[in-house]
Amino acid sequence: MHLGLSLTPFGHHPAAWRHAADIGNFGFDALLSQVARAEQAGLDFVLLADRLGARPIDDLSPVATPFEPTTLVAALATKARRIGFLAAAATSQHEPYNLARRFASLESISNGRTGWVAVTTSDNEGREREYVDLVGALWDSWEDDAFIYDKQQGRFFEPSKMHVLNHRGEHFTVRGPLNVNRSPQGKPVIAQFLSGGSKTLAAHSAEIVLLQGRTPESANETAADFVRLLEAAGRQRQDVRILANIVPIIAETSEAAQAASDALRFDEADRASQPLSASRLVGTPAEIADSLQQWLGHGQVDGFTILPPTLGMADLFLADVAPELQRRGLIGKTKAGSTLRDYLGLPRPAHPAATWERAS
Amino acid sequence: MSGDRKMRLGAFLMAGGHHIAAWRHPLAHAQAGVDIDHFIELARIAERGKFDMIFVEDAAAIRERNPDMASQAARSTAFEPLSLLAALAVNTSHIGLVATASTTYTEPYGLARTFASLDQLSGGRAGWNLVTSASELEAENFASSGLRPHSERYERAEEFADAALAVWDGVEDGAYLPQGGSVFTDRAKLHPVHHRGKHFTVEGLLESPRSPQGRPIMVQAGASDIGKELAARTADVVFAASQTIGEAQAYYTDVKARLAKYGRQIDDIKIMPGISPIVGATEAEAKAKYRALQELIPDAVGVALLASYLSIQDLSAYPLDGPLPDMPETNLIQSRQQLIIDLGRRENLSIRELARHFAGARGHWQVAGTPAQIADAMEERFSAGAADGFNVMAPVFPSGLEDFVTLVVPELRRRGLFREEYEGRTLRQNLGVGEPAKR
Repeated sequence: MHLGLSLTPFGHHPAAWRHAADIGNFGFDALLSQVARAEQAGLDFVLLADRLGARPIDDLSPVATPFEPTTLVAALATKARRIGFLAAAATSQHEPYNLARRFASLESISNGRTGWVAVTTSDNEGREREYVDLVGALWDSWEDDAFIYDKQQGRFFEPSKMHVLNHRGEHFTVRGPLNVNRSPQGKPVIAQFLSGGSKTLAAHSAEIVLLQGRTPESANETAADFVRLLEAAGRQRQDVRILANIVPIIAETSEAAQAASDALRFDEADRASQPLSASRLVGTPAEIADSLQQWLGHGQVDGFTILPPTLGMADLFLADVAPELQRRGLIGKTKAGSTLRDYLGLPRPAHPAATWERAS
Repeated sequence: MSGDRKMRLGAFLMAGGHHIAAWRHPLAHAQAGVDIDHFIELARIAERGKFDMIFVEDAAAIRERNPDMASQAARSTAFEPLSLLAALAVNTSHIGLVATASTTYTEPYGLARTFASLDQLSGGRAGWNLVTSASELEAENFASSGLRPHSERYERAEEFADAALAVWDGVEDGAYLPQGGSVFTDRAKLHPVHHRGKHFTVEGLLESPRSPQGRPIMVQAGASDIGKELAARTADVVFAASQTIGEAQAYYTDVKARLAKYGRQIDDIKIMPGISPIVGATEAEAKAKYRALQELIPDAVGVALLASYLSIQDLSAYPLDGPLPDMPETNLIQSRQQLIIDLGRRENLSIRELARHFAGARGHWQVAGTPAQIADAMEERFSAGAADGFNVMAPVFPSGLEDFVTLVVPELRRRGLFREEYEGRTLRQNLGVGEPAKR
């Protein structure tokens, strides 16, 4: 089972700040402490969802993290060195070269523990696809062993292993190469939130798919539909991790959990708040573990992104549910490998030059 | 000059070192460019020395078109500056963090947001070195239409700077969680930006509290007339490249004289030329260190670097031991070009000599000597109206920076020229430049 934690200063419930109205929760140290607990609990990644790239127009949201996601990841990655990071960035807000470069730099900083949540807002699928493919191609600007650091001969890299892209597409013109080394994990992992317009693109390029449904059944249907699209796109099921968003509401007894859930009604509907339609799992730590275990065994979902409604619920999940999942052997006590791909069991993409050579 | 005026120091970081052949030095860490712990160590050395700031340059492209040439230098890959400085921010506590970023290939809201994030991560220690990106290789990564003319780039930069300032001013102090606790934000303290200009439309708010230093520090290095004017209007710090004390004084006087028309005081801008110090226990040792580095420069690399700064495709058609050819003024970094031409004429240098000389510190002022000699040279310019401080470009990292901090900084302190302790926690406090008006 793969698990991630969606990071917010107060929790995903729009009124969660009322329970912890402390400006300190806004600071880096408080966020780092959440990440350190998630790392300790054996989670694979934390997610910086960035309100799906939506800019605040005239008011600020308590469910938004008050940092730009990629810079926050850069800072967190130096302090939490055994967990992955997914950061959202919108294709409408960055030039492809700048975005490819920022994430490649995060890969150098984190030693291969990052992924890009590609937020696409344009209806122009051709543009979005060209963008994502272009970013992927820029990440292959250098072969893995391009840098030879030969001090004697004065040769820093092997020129034949640098690839100038010379991309001239319908929407973008980019010469390349990227001025950052190839990632320790080959490339950053590409993730996408599954929503109406983005499904075809996700089937084409996403390696992590984040989805949600009000119930596990509806999330499973969405997942099954996506798998059909994936196969139609000629890709393998095992090349993608499908993760469902869940809102866990945890207490020592089932009754107390139900009462907590009643108290956390989303009557202050905040349309920018992502978790409103995610599946709620309500119960004791063992009951939550049961629900996750059953869900994993019935459908196409490979794991979950935890959207804790409050910081207290995040703590309960990490302190009580995660160890229960470890006891059941559903998540590892120690993580295999050192990159986000290792954590998720995703293959390391070979540099395309290997294929070019075979073809020639 | 008042007796308690202190020198400002920046540590200009670059993977293996500023010297073009630094990576080939036997002690150099060849993989420094992708080693975050190497950079964390450099930042901490500079902070131990109580430097005002660290600084990183930027280009959104590789720097040399010819792959064979590029492959002989360590300048084709690097960390992206804002992510690098974000990583360094949470591993330091007092030192300022200045990143270069282009107004030509980014948008004001996104860039202002990213610097605001760096400013929050560092507790008010961020600075933005505004550049307009003069290289063709960068232009080719963003559009098919090629490099925009100098004047057009600066016109965009002017509007960009204003829009970014407005974005930073959109959220007042105390906007979040006002007293009473019944609302999340005090709407009266939010001022959404409605910018509609020739180049940009910017709407909205930053999702972030106001910076602990008001706004990030603004830095510029433009040396053209239009660049100096933008600096006089908006910058807190100006970096410069000057070879001689005369050039440095002329530049200093020129920029400071432009301040009055924007209602600013002479001390509102700190002018910090680059210095490449090569420190030795004796002068002979320093000179030997310098020679050892110079011998590692392949002629082809030095000449190609010289050509790229002169903005001409190729110098190889001209004899290496002859003078620079006459060349037309270009659309690119006019000031840097002139500086090289002047240096060649003044010292009667051949292309090879100029390439080697220039490659060492890329046009900046080099001083090889004992700690006292280096301090003398710095003090002379600091006291003669040529500099408010210096951007220190160590030829090799970490040893060149370590030498400066352990040998030159104590010498500057003995002379009362440099701080013993940080004055404050924000970059603005430490630089001693004024707070922008509170909104």
